[in-house]
Amino acid sequence: MGKLTRSQVVEAALWFAIVAIFYAFSFGFDRPIEIYKFGATGWPRVVLFLLLLAAIGNLAYTWRHGSAAQKGRVGIADDVPATTVRSPRQLLRMGGVLATPFAFALLLKPVGFYFASPFFIAAIILLFGERRIKYILVITGFIYLLLLGLFVVLLNAPLPQGNVSPFYDYSAFILTLNSKLQQMW
Amino acid sequence: MLENFLAGSQALFGDPFTIGIFVFGVLGGMLFGAIPGVSMLTLAAILLPFTANLEPAQGVMLFAVIYCTGTYGGAITAILFNIPGAPENAPTAFDGYPMTQQGKSGKAVGAAVLCSAIGGVASALVMMAATEPLAQWAIRNIGPPEIFALVFFGLAVASSVGARTVWKGWISVLLGLMIATIGQDPVGGINRYNFGFSDLAAGIAFVPAILGFFAVSEIFVQADKRTSGQFKSPKLGMSFPTIFELWAHKIAVVRSILVGFFCGILPGIGATLAAFMGYGEAVRWSRNRKEFGKGKLEGVISSETANNAATGAAIIPLLALGLPGGALTAMMVAVFQMHDLEPGPLVFYNSPDLIWVVFAAMFYANLSILVIGLLETKTILYLLKIPFPFLAPMILLLAAIGSYIGRGLVLDVVVMFAAGIIGFLLRRSGYSIPGLVLGIILGKIGEQNFAQGMQMVHYDLLEYFSRPICSILILLGILTLLSGVYKALKPSRSLSSANWTGSSAGQK
Repeated sequence: MGKLTRSQVVEAALWFAIVAIFYAFSFGFDRPIEIYKFGATGWPRVVLFLLLLAAIGNLAYTWRHGSAAQKGRVGIADDVPATTVRSPRQLLRMGGVLATPFAFALLLKPVGFYFASPFFIAAIILLFGERRIKYILVITGFIYLLLLGLFVVLLNAPLPQGNVSPFYDYSAFILTLNSKLQQMW
Repeated sequence: MLENFLAGSQALFGDPFTIGIFVFGVLGGMLFGAIPGVSMLTLAAILLPFTANLEPAQGVMLFAVIYCTGTYGGAITAILFNIPGAPENAPTAFDGYPMTQQGKSGKAVGAAVLCSAIGGVASALVMMAATEPLAQWAIRNIGPPEIFALVFFGLAVASSVGARTVWKGWISVLLGLMIATIGQDPVGGINRYNFGFSDLAAGIAFVPAILGFFAVSEIFVQADKRTSGQFKSPKLGMSFPTIFELWAHKIAVVRSILVGFFCGILPGIGATLAAFMGYGEAVRWSRNRKEFGKGKLEGVISSETANNAATGAAIIPLLALGLPGGALTAMMVAVFQMHDLEPGPLVFYNSPDLIWVVFAAMFYANLSILVIGLLETKTILYLLKIPFPFLAPMILLLAAIGSYIGRGLVLDVVVMFAAGIIGFLLRRSGYSIPGLVLGIILGKIGEQNFAQGMQMVHYDLLEYFSRPICSILILLGILTLLSGVYKALKPSRSLSSANWTGSSAGQK
């Protein structure tokens, strides 16, 4: 396999799969447009063709040179490389960091922002390595109140309230408090 | 012009409420630009409904001021945290963040303050002096072929920066173009790639995608560095750039003003492409190209001058032709419409007072960047002292709020976090997030103008080369691509010693 690693093979396969899937789906809207000769598929298919060429070029480059960067490239990230070996514990923690925001987003509709956000804040602080409970609680409270102050009290921004009781009731309680506060001004 | 400017200034500062709105816009734009995770677009989206209660001049002026100061504010997060406040600040991070890592954050932020103010003031002056003639010139000389050619050139430049190889640079830009095809096609309105989801008919929402790719992916990258033990604390540097350091870059400043203004004046292009092209031209003309991306002050100067130079220019097509140049100017159209006004040539005759209040406000807003920026810079640098575990949840929540507020859809928050994960994986593999984002932003504009251009020239592509501006831009784009191909095919001489070790400091 030349200098190709398994992850690089997967990476190349992913690009080819994206090209194939998007090309296949382009037949779903392959209808002529009276005023435009190339139709709705013209532009996406040209982009897909160029993407295919670039993916082949990328694969050939990786085959010959592995993951070496080209000299003279500007603004290259200094991120942790994909090839870094990680322990199961590190992988688990990173998985937690990636999954927590996603879980938070999915919970926004039923639970609402007002109830879910303090738990989310505490979870992220914990996943980033902070273990002192007192710090976590104080900072969570501070960030939560700061955001409520800015977006709810000051800017009256509409945030997700949830649609499941008792979470919805909690959101309603916060909003009632806010309207009472507004009336005091 | 002077009389009109003075009349505009008098209207601006003669009414305490209007002054209050101006100050709110200046501070709000800077603050929302400088808070990692939200941007001036978040503030603008929140404020849009409230502008219905303001006078038309006050509403439009507020958005114009937020546009000027927010564009500068986004540079702060780009420099300090590698999180561009807006796409137009992405090239600022290329050199700004390495400067922070080297303990030169003060120099980088100081240069951003000064150059944003210079670019913005120069742009505002030209805008006041020449909006009508420039709009007339643009109407006569700039058509869809020229705009497509500029998009092509801009994407060629974007593909040459930010990725580990030229192939990955192209893949990044092409992936962005592909994402931009999701939703209705710009000619016939046919739904493309909605995969059965009706919400995708309107395409991928712009703000959540940007927040995900820039802000959320950066949080994941920082988490990755911490879990793998490769995290290095940024150093706090308080020293500002000296007069001599700035004077040494005077040519870069002038060049970026010209590039920024040219990009800004073209309908639909705006400050993002201006910043990329300002940065790209700085690299092209530099004798020390290898230093770019590793903490070179000229990189910050070029990008920040160009994007602020585009702010004034972007108002020209908006006011003169009714064509917005970006997301924020599009919201300004909404402000006009809320007050039963239509931006366009008639505004100059029907509402001259409004025009000159806006012009004066933009001029003073850019001056405010200099004054407030220099005063607050040292305070802002202390943001670096906040431990990242405490900053991370705040950034993530602000980004979640920012993406939700635009359309009130939880789906947008999900899209944002999905974009964050994709962005994180792409960055780890050496792809360019700024290139990807520019592809998303310019994809629809490029396709629409290509289609209109082809209809204009009766599908004869060679006709594009009979138009001077168009042919120059296409040739420059082709040259940029060919130089990339040349480097890619000569890899034996052009391999970097940095082989996945992260030794070359730089940005996404």
